[in-house]
Amino acid sequence: MIRAVAIYMLTICGMLAASLVPAHAGRVVADLSQSNVSITSGFHGTELLLFGAVDGRETDDIIVVVSGPPTDVAQRRKAQVGGIWINVETNIWKDAPSLYQILATRPLADIANVDTLGQLQIGADKLKLQLQPEKPRPGTEKPDAGKFLQSFARNMASTGLWPAEVGSVKLTDGALFRADVQLPANVISGIYDVRILQFRDGVVFSESQTNIYIKKGGLSAMIYNFAHDYSLFYGLFAIAFAVAAGWLAAAAFRRG
Amino acid sequence: MYIYLPIAEISMHIGIIFGLGGGVGFLSGLFGVGGGFLMTPLLIFFGVPPAVAVATEANQIVASSVSGVLAHMRRGNVDFKMGGILLAGGVVGSSLGVMLFKYLRDMGQIDLVIKLSYVVFLGIIGGLMLLESVRAILRSRRPGAPRRKLHQHNWLHGLPLKMRFRRSKLYISALLPLAIGAFVGLLAAIMGVGGGFIMVPAMIYLLGMPTSVVVGTSLFQIIFVTANVTLLQSVQTQTVDFMLAGLLLFGAVIGAQFGTRAGALLRGEQLRGLLALMVLTVCLKLAFDLAMQPSDLFSVELLK
Repeated sequence: MIRAVAIYMLTICGMLAASLVPAHAGRVVADLSQSNVSITSGFHGTELLLFGAVDGRETDDIIVVVSGPPTDVAQRRKAQVGGIWINVETNIWKDAPSLYQILATRPLADIANVDTLGQLQIGADKLKLQLQPEKPRPGTEKPDAGKFLQSFARNMASTGLWPAEVGSVKLTDGALFRADVQLPANVISGIYDVRILQFRDGVVFSESQTNIYIKKGGLSAMIYNFAHDYSLFYGLFAIAFAVAAGWLAAAAFRRG
Repeated sequence: MYIYLPIAEISMHIGIIFGLGGGVGFLSGLFGVGGGFLMTPLLIFFGVPPAVAVATEANQIVASSVSGVLAHMRRGNVDFKMGGILLAGGVVGSSLGVMLFKYLRDMGQIDLVIKLSYVVFLGIIGGLMLLESVRAILRSRRPGAPRRKLHQHNWLHGLPLKMRFRRSKLYISALLPLAIGAFVGLLAAIMGVGGGFIMVPAMIYLLGMPTSVVVGTSLFQIIFVTANVTLLQSVQTQTVDFMLAGLLLFGAVIGAQFGTRAGALLRGEQLRGLLALMVLTVCLKLAFDLAMQPSDLFSVELLK
């Protein structure tokens, strides 16, 4: 049902876009089936429909980049010390996207060359991120971000937050496009950035941007806020609840 | 049906949570232990961040200990005086433990310390228990073998501050239970366990308490130690997941009742032998994981 409505709206959008925009200007109009996502107790990831219209040709391509709110991420390296494997090195990736997902009409290499993709930072291996040691000591060199980026992208892919595969975008008649944006269950709350790029002959022809707003909602928001804003009372409440539950259980089974 | 855990920030199938609670509850009822030493590694295995698993498990043990201690109180199997002194040590130990936990967490080594503590203590306790129960089983097959003395006297009985513990039929230095309480409290905070699996053997073999009052007294003091850990972790690290603890204890209290009934069908030394095997299995699994080269040498953690 939602999808039918979305496709209907998408068609209208397409017609509007086509009629309003001069043929040469190139323009992308995009919207999401849902731009506010609430992480409630039943949340187990979700799928959003991104749809829109471009003023383009059948040979044009679309690349969509979804990036989550920037977060510091600790990357740890294990090594064998005295027979066991322990963390020996920790570096912090500053303001890394907490989610990084790419969707495209064709394989990225067929759409644009490596330099263009690199300039636009499209692809987990092309992100320009700052890496610093967890405890900077004077005299030690900064870790080489380029050396660690590949393993970082692999680690993030295994968390599900940076899917390694490029998702698909369907472009119809060079005018209407749609794509399914997958949000895994472990997304963090914050403002997500969705960039839509229209490519023609290997270069960006036009682009557009929209946002997804994710926040905790319902009972999970209440518990989270309670735990962080009134941590003393939260602790006391957790204890009281446990004592009551234990007492109730003992009483119930004594009779039963 | 999946449920989103607000502090752990992961989504978990509700069947897994109830299964874990019920299964571990059954074993804890069967063997008379809190079950934290099984639950915490299992939670970590299912993707709960180690820090959250440890703090949340402390909260859940409060509930199962209350439930258990009430049954023992009705039978008069709780030595409150001994429990009180163990507890005084336990509060100091667990407070130090939470501080140490926070320090190690900031150093990025908390996972290693948790796992190493498990390997060392499960290995020692499991090994000792297995040895003891095998001996007991062999002895019971040889009727007429001489009975051992209630407890041996050694240098520990020469310490000052002697006190009389009527229920435990002991006249020993208060320093001993104080030290044991502090040590177990420290481990409880770091390992996310009640410490029953260390406390119970310590009470039997070090203090020489009669077995009948050991479990009840241990549970009595565990309530307060784990409550202290729950409170301190809530305030200092915000890692207690109330949703997870609530769902786990729901399964656990039911499982524990069935476990208690099943336990009545087995003999004491057989039970201890089985528990020892289980403890050693968990120990070997964790030791194996530490010794094997991980499939990926790198790991990531999102910082808030």
